Amino acid sequence: MSTEAIAHSPSHEHVHEEAHHHVLPWYRRYLFSTDHKVIAKQFMLTSFIFLFIGGAFALIIRWQLAYPGKPIPVIGALFPSTWVTEPGSGIITPEFFAQLLTMHGSIMIFFVIIPLAVGMFGNFCIPLMIGTNDMALPRLNMWSFWLLPPAGLIILTGFFTPSGYAAAGWTSYPPLAAQTGYPTFTFTGQTLWLIAVFLIGFSSIMGGVNYITTVLNKRAKGMRLFDMPLTIWAIFITAILAVLGTPVLAAGLAMLFFDNFLHTSFFLPDNLVTSSKYFGGGQPVLFQHVFWFYSHPAVYIMLVPLMGVVSDVISTFSRKPIFGYKAMIFAIASIAGLGFIVWGHHMFQSGMNPLLGTTFMLSTIVIAVPSAIKVFNWLGTLWRGNIHYSAAMLSALAFVSMFIIGGLSGVFMASAPVDIYIHDTYFIVAHIHYVLFGGSLFGIFAGLYYWFPKMFGKMLSETWGRRHLFWTFIGFNVCFFPMHVLGLGGHMRRIYDPNVYDFLKGLHPMNQIITYGAFLLGFAQLILIGNILYSLFFGKKASRNPWHANSLEWAAPPHPGHGNFDSDITVYRGPYEYSVADRELDYWPQWEPGKAISIHHHTIAVD
Amino acid sequence: MKSVFDFLGWFPENISTFGGELDALFAIIWWVCVGIFFLTFGLMAIFMIVYRNRDGHRGYNYHGNNILEIAWTILPTILFAGIGLYSNEIWEVTKYSNRNPKPDVEILMLGKQFTWMFLYPGADGKFGRNAYTDRTARADMSATNPFGRDSLDPAGADDFMVENQFRVPVNANVVVRGSTIDVLHSFFLPHARVKQDVIPGTWMNIWFNIFKTGKYELACAELCGSGHYAMRAEYQVLSNADYDAWLNQKSAEIKGMNAGVAEEPAAADTTAPKSM
Repeated sequence: MSTEAIAHSPSHEHVHEEAHHHVLPWYRRYLFSTDHKVIAKQFMLTSFIFLFIGGAFALIIRWQLAYPGKPIPVIGALFPSTWVTEPGSGIITPEFFAQLLTMHGSIMIFFVIIPLAVGMFGNFCIPLMIGTNDMALPRLNMWSFWLLPPAGLIILTGFFTPSGYAAAGWTSYPPLAAQTGYPTFTFTGQTLWLIAVFLIGFSSIMGGVNYITTVLNKRAKGMRLFDMPLTIWAIFITAILAVLGTPVLAAGLAMLFFDNFLHTSFFLPDNLVTSSKYFGGGQPVLFQHVFWFYSHPAVYIMLVPLMGVVSDVISTFSRKPIFGYKAMIFAIASIAGLGFIVWGHHMFQSGMNPLLGTTFMLSTIVIAVPSAIKVFNWLGTLWRGNIHYSAAMLSALAFVSMFIIGGLSGVFMASAPVDIYIHDTYFIVAHIHYVLFGGSLFGIFAGLYYWFPKMFGKMLSETWGRRHLFWTFIGFNVCFFPMHVLGLGGHMRRIYDPNVYDFLKGLHPMNQIITYGAFLLGFAQLILIGNILYSLFFGKKASRNPWHANSLEWAAPPHPGHGNFDSDITVYRGPYEYSVADRELDYWPQWEPGKAISIHHHTIAVD
Repeated sequence: MKSVFDFLGWFPENISTFGGELDALFAIIWWVCVGIFFLTFGLMAIFMIVYRNRDGHRGYNYHGNNILEIAWTILPTILFAGIGLYSNEIWEVTKYSNRNPKPDVEILMLGKQFTWMFLYPGADGKFGRNAYTDRTARADMSATNPFGRDSLDPAGADDFMVENQFRVPVNANVVVRGSTIDVLHSFFLPHARVKQDVIPGTWMNIWFNIFKTGKYELACAELCGSGHYAMRAEYQVLSNADYDAWLNQKSAEIKGMNAGVAEEPAAADTTAPKSM
């Protein structure tokens, strides 16, 4: 194997490094650590805090839609006077409602899903699963995390500005997001939002560069690219997406920031009739193009890493090789590639040339094909398996099933004429939540249940894990499935009070059911937090390879220290050799010596 | 109580000529999706039960099958490309401006936070000089004269504006030229299956042909600020006779008002501000 020499990393160094790190002061070990595992945990902790903030915002939104004009129970009385109609009334204002939906979307996307999917799993999995001691660029890695907390503080500081939080939606379309009515150099919720998302973008770029470099240069001896687990493939391709897409978003955000802060006019056309005098010569739709050029790939940035995670979990717990390993990689690559030429499907009704609608419709609908390939391969993996229903596996199966529904509802929107009616309705809200909650978040749960023993050296409670997933699954579907029919009834998204419209009056009971589901969903997450905290302190100690899995991270000690591995790692085969005939064990780790031949897609061990 | 699982039963009544086609296309995709749903969920359920972990049982070491991979690449491609090409024909008819029918009625529409404004050409069917008919008149757009109308143009003497309501004749090709004076709005007629964002600085062509008389609602579907939810209007679809009567009456009213104004030059500034 000629690639061995190239792929082999200088693994002798880590022995010395380990010795140095023992004398590091506490803040270098826990705060400004360059250890990829610590950084992964930092991403996890920060994002979980934001998950609950974003979730609480969502529950306030849901309360308002189910009981418009009724005071928020319990916490409503504590709201500051700018949030409510009268001090102490607990009834939120339309202004605050717009701020809530903006912050909910922004926090969940930029501060929860992307940091968890890419930051947490990328950091934790890459060095361990390719058998190396750390990232290629550990200090850059540290910085990629340390942009997140300041960005989070900045976005939340919007509350203290005269305008409150940003209120133009997470998409922040100008002119709404560009006309401030404030003098230059005024910080508003919108400008702070732009700065925060800009910083997050930098974090993504730094992380992405690091992931690409690490995967290409630091693989263990003997590991070819096609010996990498699908998690690593998925994160690798995601990193390429992030590095290519995020600078485009950064450009758009910078221009929008200048429009706000310096009264430039990148996106403001002539002849507006507003109180502001600073406009002219700009084009509002340009921002939408720039924004979606990044933000559509961003959907895949949020989803693709979890497709990899779920593939590994399904293969491990089905005790079967992943079905169509290379087909899975090519499917991910084509999803990522096509992801860059479909952004216009967010803009079918935006007023862009309808000819472009035709182009984007055809490219979008083709994305259904690699998605279908992935689903069929997951089903193929289950076929003739020996399926163990662990919490991780249940979560992965929830991912697959919810991704099917989310994918199918996407076909409706991909068809431009059908999108005329359902665009900007709750059908879209249902779709994005099936993809980003039903997809990404269940994928994150799967990865968390799967790698928790390696992350913290303790086992999570399987019983409580199943309870958490059960109630999450029920709450999720009660909450989001009826949103499809809300959308078909014509219910617009982002409206404060649907009862203004006669044609929406019949949908009110549905809105209430959705809210019950949302509260169930929200409170079910407390089970997860309880489970994590209990396991951390009182959990069963994890063994080195509790799931009898094949990939390299399970060769490391249960709670690996800096440097990860306590033995030299050489890779002998791909990561999916489960249930090989003629072997007593039903798994065959990548690091165990032994020869095998492949006949008609079966692996046969030879001595 | 309608079932949550029957998507097709939830649409509001369709009243426009192309709405039926859009609904039918939705139904086609719906049935395709129902089929795929039962196929995939059925397989998954069967595999989950049949291949659950049992003592003495072992997984099957099998890495995949190229014929299957090719099959489940090509079949979805044909299916989805078919849906795409079929959709495109309907898309062209509803949105391509060269496929728009000849307008029987033309209305100008402007959105502003949080009001819909409509300008009718009046009984003569002709607009006077305004921000739509003449680019240079855009400079005259203001809060009191949003359409930038030129009060000196005689063709515009019977043009009249209505707010948060409009009326159209039944069975007529209505073309709404829409724009906005501040932020993005979206012109959404749920019953007529019409939705089009409007952009400041650009006039969008929105057409529809409604076959049923009655009173319906217009909503804004693009977040446009805190009052977005209440940016609602009503529209009436009238028989041709009723529509003409209404048009003539409004034109006469506005002509009377303009005539009254013309006699008092001092008041002219407030109704037709042409000042910069």
